[in-house]
Amino acid sequence: MIQSALFTRPVAKHPVRFLATVLGIAAGVASVVSTLGASSAALSSLREGVGLLSGRAALEVTAAGGVPESELTRLAPLALDALLLPVVEDVAKCTTLSDTVRVFGVDLLTDPRFAADSATIATAPPIEELLSTPSAIVSDEFARDARVGVGDSIHLTIMAKPISLRVAAIFPAGPSAVLGRLVVVDVSVAQRFFGRDGNLSRIELVPRGSVSSTALSERARELVSRGMQVGRPTDRAEESETLVRSLEFNLATMSGISLLVGGVLVATTLATSVVQRRRTIALLYALGASRGQVVRVIFAEALFLGVFGGILGVALGYVSSRFMVDGMRATLSTLVSTTAPTAISFDETHAWLGIALGVVVSLAAAVLPVLEGARTPPIQALRGETPRFLSARALALALSIATLLALVAYVLFLQPAWYGLPIAALAGALVLLAALLALYGPLVDGLGRFAGVRFSVPAVVRLACAGLSAGRRRAAWAAGAVGVAVALSIAIATMVGSFRGTVVDWVERSIHPDLAVRGVRGKTGVPVGGVDREVAAIVSATPGVVDTYPYFVSSARFGDERIGFGGVSFEAVRKRGWSAMLDGSDSSVAIERAWKSGGVLVSEAGAHRFGWKVGDQIAIDVRGQQFERAIEGVYMDHSESRGFVLADAGDFERLVPDADPLFVELNCRTPADIEPVRSALRAAFAGRFEVEINDMPTMRASILSVFDRTFEITRALQIVSAIVAIIAVLSVLFALVSERRADIALLSAIGMSSLEVHALVAVQAGLLGVLGAGFGSACGLVIGYVLVTVVNLQSFGWTIAFDAPWIAIASLVGFVAAACTLAGTLPARAAAQRSMRDALREDG
Amino acid sequence: MAAIEKPGDAVARVRVAVKTYAARHAPVHALRGVSLTIEPGEMVALVGPSGCGKSTLLNLLAGVDRADSGQVVVCGIDLAGTRDERALVELRRTCIGIVFQSFHLVPHLRVEENVALPLALAGKKDRARVDMLLERVGLSARRSHYPAELSGGEQQRTAVARALVHRPRLVLADEPTGNLDSQSGAQVLALLDEARSEVGAALLLVTHDAAVARLADRTLHMADGLFLRESR
Repeated sequence: MIQSALFTRPVAKHPVRFLATVLGIAAGVASVVSTLGASSAALSSLREGVGLLSGRAALEVTAAGGVPESELTRLAPLALDALLLPVVEDVAKCTTLSDTVRVFGVDLLTDPRFAADSATIATAPPIEELLSTPSAIVSDEFARDARVGVGDSIHLTIMAKPISLRVAAIFPAGPSAVLGRLVVVDVSVAQRFFGRDGNLSRIELVPRGSVSSTALSERARELVSRGMQVGRPTDRAEESETLVRSLEFNLATMSGISLLVGGVLVATTLATSVVQRRRTIALLYALGASRGQVVRVIFAEALFLGVFGGILGVALGYVSSRFMVDGMRATLSTLVSTTAPTAISFDETHAWLGIALGVVVSLAAAVLPVLEGARTPPIQALRGETPRFLSARALALALSIATLLALVAYVLFLQPAWYGLPIAALAGALVLLAALLALYGPLVDGLGRFAGVRFSVPAVVRLACAGLSAGRRRAAWAAGAVGVAVALSIAIATMVGSFRGTVVDWVERSIHPDLAVRGVRGKTGVPVGGVDREVAAIVSATPGVVDTYPYFVSSARFGDERIGFGGVSFEAVRKRGWSAMLDGSDSSVAIERAWKSGGVLVSEAGAHRFGWKVGDQIAIDVRGQQFERAIEGVYMDHSESRGFVLADAGDFERLVPDADPLFVELNCRTPADIEPVRSALRAAFAGRFEVEINDMPTMRASILSVFDRTFEITRALQIVSAIVAIIAVLSVLFALVSERRADIALLSAIGMSSLEVHALVAVQAGLLGVLGAGFGSACGLVIGYVLVTVVNLQSFGWTIAFDAPWIAIASLVGFVAAACTLAGTLPARAAAQRSMRDALREDG
Repeated sequence: MAAIEKPGDAVARVRVAVKTYAARHAPVHALRGVSLTIEPGEMVALVGPSGCGKSTLLNLLAGVDRADSGQVVVCGIDLAGTRDERALVELRRTCIGIVFQSFHLVPHLRVEENVALPLALAGKKDRARVDMLLERVGLSARRSHYPAELSGGEQQRTAVARALVHRPRLVLADEPTGNLDSQSGAQVLALLDEARSEVGAALLLVTHDAAVARLADRTLHMADGLFLRESR
């Protein structure tokens, strides 16, 4: 019966507020679930690919920069105990599908997965046919999407070269999206197309019979050359996942922001309902209810909100993830190559996580309202809602709590990353938000005191302030909900704005060439693969071109960590400069120094991750060869986060002789030569290479466009937060008006006009909005600063220049105040329309 | 003024209770050392001007407030000395029934649910008793209505039925007829008197109404936190 008295029947009578709160929680849960679902689908080619494509391979031999074919000979003594399978694996653009595909080169003579006589293939072409003409084996899903059959051709762009492959056979893919975008060719064909003669991506070992993987691994380690790694196929997936872990974590955390705002909405709703039902609670105590009975009801209400909100949120998240997956793939492709995402399917783990999050957040939000309910005295001791100001002691306590929380937040901001993730800094942001919430009680109290100030203030304003003060706790919660939402919006806007400003500056300082020739872009907007060496030769030979800078990329090992390793002609680049340097110095000077001393440049992410600095000697392993040089400069690069060493092209080509450039940049004799050179290159490439030839403005716009797509998701989260905040304000305003209906009726009875009643409630709403947004903005700026200088640095190792978005802040404060004032018209209308007789009769 | 008390197995006993409220400008001495005893089945009226300490004494007896000094024993529990929340809860569930001046019914419960509420809080059910009380207060036909649908008299009769449903030993009524017309007021008083004889409950009525006071076995006159005199 207590449940009926306090929860089920009041909710049934006024379901809108309950449903609005459920919606608030659902919005937060949906953000988290859709982010997880979309990133999981977008990363499917990484996660699924390794497991599916490795087949029965228990081990594989890999190396930064690739595995020389000669390692097969060194592993020959293991042939009796294991199948040795050479593999070349890379991505290419399939023009037939207009999408990125994974090219999988295997020994079609011996590989059990795709050998001509394997049961996997629907038809078994003669092996001579597979080896003599460029042929491919594709999945049935691929064939369906590309509308090809056996004997038809598919068209790929590999290293900028258009390649046609004949479909020799089709295999059943099942539901896997990885196999749906897989093109299987012979390993020699893959080596030829990708310019990897004598080099493999890896050698897979499939134990025969009952051979132990452990013993096989030990023997393999003894046989392979220095610089080779022997590990499990899943190690490769884990390494890739480490690259994206920070990005995934930050995206999930930001989507958790919406959940946090939903939690504040729950706290606001429960706190409001406890105060609204204060008399009933007090009466129940007077009649013999225990505190436990009342507390259980409030927690039950929170549990209902959490469960219903969680279930609804999971459903909404599942639907919205379908719209998010392309944006998520674009975001992740800035770090790793991904092919098509899997179809969004219902993931039970995400569903349970979403419901659990909804319940946990709701129950956590219920704690303070529960304490208030438990502290309510029996009804004889209730003194009514007189506008009692905070005592000096209570004020001091509130300010002390806020100060203490702020100090704890500051300490957390100073902590280093935990397991490579900015957990302490993000926890500090949460604590700072708690400090903000603690401040709102004294702030609303201050508003009420303002009403007593003896100078000429319009009566409506004074009554509005007094009304807020009379319902101080509810007003504080509402302002808090607005404040939290605004703080988080400003924080995100600051982070995104600062990041964009830094990228714009970096692009302007780093993009020097007149033209750049690179591979065609995939669906994500990121170029797929590099360009053939011949492209660089054609560029050099084109009249009007004075300097050509092919840029090479491979990988290397620094200790146990895989890093990027690249090469460009320092002699050429020193004339025009490279990427912006971390210390702000001229990059030409650093390149000149490196060219003269034979040194290298390193990326900022690497410097942050490994402590590299100018003057240090750095030793890395490239395909089993040691490469040691002095560091002559640290440059900024927001396209990578694992660490990169840039060497002179001569050193690079000596270590990785078979590499093709990722892109080729060039400078023309005069600006007037740019268009004629571009036309000449187009003519030279026609029919032979499929490339993009971009001028400087296009290159810069392209980089910024990828950046903007990356942050589409965060912008969506900002909108969700704002909507939830407005729901919170509406909810509390309706409650305040409902409580004060007798007062409002009395004011009407003694002469206040309907317009003045509207104004009274609208002013209250506006004051809540200004209070919430004003202090929320200040808090948001601080959190934004932390996101830029601490979280971003710990996550990706990038230095971002802090740039406060003053215009955005002013606009947001104005918008929120206006939106709250407008939102107040709904309860204002309800207040004005209510019968005076009814409102006054119900009092007492 | 000498203590007003009688020997015997009292339902409630107050000895030299003092209660002072600290206020910004000067302390308020609500009770300055009052003593009384309430015997089973006795009806005691408490009269006095506003602010004389009547409600404070009621709050002490209900366990809502605690005396600064002195002794307040209700149904054998020393309320001034105990900090046991459970004991207070149990007292309200089994020993004390309260009738408020402003009725204070739970707005979202029907009449029959409001009446049964004290039993429900104690985890008990007694449909027969609820039905009997509804019949006794003349609200059987209105049992499914909500408080907002009742007149003032009907609401107060519901409150009286609620106060009696769990057979309390002590009924505290704070101006039970204050918001009622004379006819409704008489009905409520009659009901309270019936309960006294039926279950042997003691009644303490706070009232301004001299007519109500005349129905009591004793009337205690209060002023400035002290008993001035007793009349019968």
